Amino acid sequence: MAIRTAALLAATAMLGFSVYAFIAYDHGAGGYQFQQQWEWIETLGITVHWGADGISALMVLLTGIVAFTGVIVSWRIDDRPKEYFVLFMTLLTGVYGTFVSLDIFFLFFFYELAVLPMYLLIAVWGSTNKEYGALKLVLYLVAGSVLVWVAIIAIYVEAGVGSFDLLALQEADFARDFQRIFFPLIMIGFGVLAGLWPFHTWSPDGHVAAPTAVSMLHAGVLMKLGAYGIIRLGMTLLPEGLDWWQIPFITLATINVVYGAMSAMAQRDLKFVIGYSSVGHMGLVLIGLATIDSVGVSGAVLQMFSHGLMTALFFAMVGVIYEQAHTRDIGELNGLAKRMPITVFLFVLAGLASLGLPGLSGFVAEVLVFIGAFRTFPVVGVLGVIAAMLTAVYILRLAARSFFGPADDRWAGLKDASLGDRFAGGVLAAMLVLAGVFPKPFLDVINSAANPLVERITQVL
Amino acid sequence: MGIEWAWLPPALSAGAFAGILLLGGRLPLKGAPLAVAAIAAGFALFWFFAADVVNEGAASFERLWFEAGDIGISLGMTIDELAIVMIGLVTAVSLAVQVYSLAYMRGDPKLGWFFAVLALFAASMLALVVVDNLLVFYVLWELIGLCSYLLIGFYSERRSAAEAAKKAFIVTRVGDVALLIGVLVLFQAAGTFSMREIFALAEAGEIGASSLNLSAALIFIGVAGKSAQFPFHVWLPDAMEGPTPVSALIHAATLVIAGVYFLARLSPMLVHTPGVLDAVAAVGLFTAFIGAFLALAQNDLKRVLAYSTVSQLGFMVLAMGSFGFAAGIFHLLTHGFFKALLFLGSGSVMHAMDDELDMRKMGGLRRAMPVTFVVFAVGTFALAGLFPLSGFFSKDEILLGVLDGRNGWLLAAGLAASGLTALYAARMLFMVFAGEPRSDAARRAHEASPLILVPMAALAIPAAGLGLLALSWGDFGGILSFLHLPGGAHHYEINHAVFWPSLIVAFGLFIVGYRIYAPRGAEPAPSIVERRYPRLYAWVANKFYLDELYQWAVDNVVLAASRFIAVFDRRVVNDTGVDGPGKATVLAGRALRYHETGLIGTYILTIAVTAAAAIIIMVAVS
Repeated sequence: MAIRTAALLAATAMLGFSVYAFIAYDHGAGGYQFQQQWEWIETLGITVHWGADGISALMVLLTGIVAFTGVIVSWRIDDRPKEYFVLFMTLLTGVYGTFVSLDIFFLFFFYELAVLPMYLLIAVWGSTNKEYGALKLVLYLVAGSVLVWVAIIAIYVEAGVGSFDLLALQEADFARDFQRIFFPLIMIGFGVLAGLWPFHTWSPDGHVAAPTAVSMLHAGVLMKLGAYGIIRLGMTLLPEGLDWWQIPFITLATINVVYGAMSAMAQRDLKFVIGYSSVGHMGLVLIGLATIDSVGVSGAVLQMFSHGLMTALFFAMVGVIYEQAHTRDIGELNGLAKRMPITVFLFVLAGLASLGLPGLSGFVAEVLVFIGAFRTFPVVGVLGVIAAMLTAVYILRLAARSFFGPADDRWAGLKDASLGDRFAGGVLAAMLVLAGVFPKPFLDVINSAANPLVERITQVL
Repeated sequence: MGIEWAWLPPALSAGAFAGILLLGGRLPLKGAPLAVAAIAAGFALFWFFAADVVNEGAASFERLWFEAGDIGISLGMTIDELAIVMIGLVTAVSLAVQVYSLAYMRGDPKLGWFFAVLALFAASMLALVVVDNLLVFYVLWELIGLCSYLLIGFYSERRSAAEAAKKAFIVTRVGDVALLIGVLVLFQAAGTFSMREIFALAEAGEIGASSLNLSAALIFIGVAGKSAQFPFHVWLPDAMEGPTPVSALIHAATLVIAGVYFLARLSPMLVHTPGVLDAVAAVGLFTAFIGAFLALAQNDLKRVLAYSTVSQLGFMVLAMGSFGFAAGIFHLLTHGFFKALLFLGSGSVMHAMDDELDMRKMGGLRRAMPVTFVVFAVGTFALAGLFPLSGFFSKDEILLGVLDGRNGWLLAAGLAASGLTALYAARMLFMVFAGEPRSDAARRAHEASPLILVPMAALAIPAAGLGLLALSWGDFGGILSFLHLPGGAHHYEINHAVFWPSLIVAFGLFIVGYRIYAPRGAEPAPSIVERRYPRLYAWVANKFYLDELYQWAVDNVVLAASRFIAVFDRRVVNDTGVDGPGKATVLAGRALRYHETGLIGTYILTIAVTAAAAIIIMVAVS
């Protein structure tokens, strides 16, 4: 109990600081704010350098929310809670560290720190096929980080400024050929974590195997690290590489979107459905980034935020259903709305956000990505809109089959979500609605980072 | 109270939605009166807005919603004559339906949720008719879709309701894909989402013809989905799974009319895309016909009404396609009142008949339910287009518009379809109310409570008398010139080539319907087509098997493709692409393990062979 209370207190504090960071971020001024810097290894030019721009600020907010709700839904973890929460907090340290590091050595360090606890969290506290899922996830992500590490060293050497500091590296000149050679390492290395097709299969398997709160963090925040890495290292430092690889990149991302939706439609396990749907939604993030269009990029960042909230809500509710029904099979579950109305309400709300229903955050983000795509590659935009329709098909089929209609007697004893789960779900749902109805505060912060970024890239090209 | 308060009616209803969701459990009747009060306030405000528009003309204003990248999206409003007419219809019908629902849904365990969604529905619709920004319009368009999804699936523990809700949402969503793409194409070409600016650009010829035509065509597909035009009409009859007041709302004042409204709203742009309007007219006429045919072949009272809506929407779309935008809106208005009335009447009948809707088991209800009978008859006469009820005038305007904008052949086709309308209207009325009761339920039928009858009686007044709006009254030059829409903005006059045929066809076929369908005594009502042409009847009664075709396409194309991709993902991408290298590494490790023998001799041999090979290669290269 003391452990859980400590974890909850820590998570509450994190949430408080995250909200503060987001609100205190001055989007009028833009740029990297809250900067702090200490020397670490002077000879190599490695410093501990914190700071956040609009994109980091929003990701910090997202992490705070998902971590807070994740701790609440982990309340009933009885198996070795101390180890669980220690690993959970280590994971969060890694995630926060990645989002606020302005030194790319530490960015990479925290990135690795975020990945490794996943192995234990899944292999020990997971379910279905957990050793396989955990092993694949970690091996895959580590393989991706090898590529990233190579690229980071190369950037350090090529820049010749003797520093890992992002602000210093931004001023350096990278030869066009260098950028073209090393951009794909960043794109694929971080792309693995963002679920880039065809390097995505670790993601659904990992989700299925992971315990509820880990799935929430994994899909909600961890996958965003990949997209964030592409923005920070790929787009900021290697714009000409991005330009050269734009068409392959946007093609893969488009495959992500359609393929994710189609695969999700054929799944029977609720977690697989959401896992593949995440693959599709992260594809929209990558499309938005690949357009190099100011609207597309801000849409991509908003989609990172929106998808984080949405999948966290999804997994939290799946956790509730699984705990009660001991199955996640869509074919077996039916008529749950009668037994667990609040769980179903929250799940369907997440589903509606996922199919891009206006009024929820998913719509604003998706439509901005579509606008960006229409301005650059209209075909991609058309495919994206169609994929959003396919999302509606599988979400509503799932809802009609598992939640509505008559209920079997075997579900007669099911209880609705506990007070904690309701609260956690309610927080996430409220954020989905808030960002859907009043996207302005979120987009203002995003714009303050995305617009200069796109401007910079277009100036270079 | 000025027009700048036009955001108030939707805001009030949205507030009622939130209020019921958050506090409903603690309020009397679970907060239902909150929704009714909000819409009643909206209806009261309507009169002030209407006076403002009449005296001072249209007004518009806007406020920024958000900025992203280099674009800003604004929440703009335009309150013009068209918006006012729509606000009047939506608030009046919603008010009647909500009051009626207080009685009709009494005691339902989900009463609060029902009224919350009704309030959200009204809010979205009231906002939809005033917004100027296409993207915001799309937002509300989808919200309306969501509300209908929730209301059609209201009895969620019924399998058929869950399926019908899903079907309605997905079929309309297919159209919405086209609509959204059309809106984005238009944005790409015009650089703005503001409809006023787009109209100005289209007028000035600054939008490329191909973009304009493409987006107009795509938008029309979206409209066809929402307004249940062929071949998207399949979802509407299934939408009967919702409670009856919901049907009244969906068919009269919200969901399906949104598409027709959108055509009228876009009319300044559509006049520049005559090719698209040709298609609009064709689809509308065809839908008007098949809807009427299908209505004639149904025995379920609510399904007759549902197909009747399909057919009437076809008439409105036909008018739009014939440049008679104002005539289409006028018919939308009159249809809204008489169709809401008919649905509420069918709900009253349904209550009296223990939820029985099969008209073959009714009959003779005029004695047991005199009030329902009278108001239902008023609605039926208006639907059939009998002079001088409202339906006659609006249908007359449509036919006039068709004659003006198209030609005599299309007019004749329209007349034929309106004749079919009179026929099925007569069939419905007489099968339900005439003759003798044909079942125990019909014999036991009783009149409904006043709370149910009052809203119906209130709707009967406009259903009967709204035709007067077509005429000029002093300064008011008739609703058609009031609406200020392009095409057909004329003062009312009797065109004898349209007036008399329309009058005669409607009366004539109504009487024919009476001769055929009015049951003699207690015999079951006959169906001539069913007896003489069983295959034709089956084809029509099964909706031309379109449902089966769509189901087949979903199962054998979409789902098959998704299963293929899912298997591909497991077998090829995962097992081969991902696990493959892993297994290869393990196998390689096993193979190489035998190399590590621990015998010094083997190692020396390996070193010697490798060194020799290296030397040979170096020599060969140099």
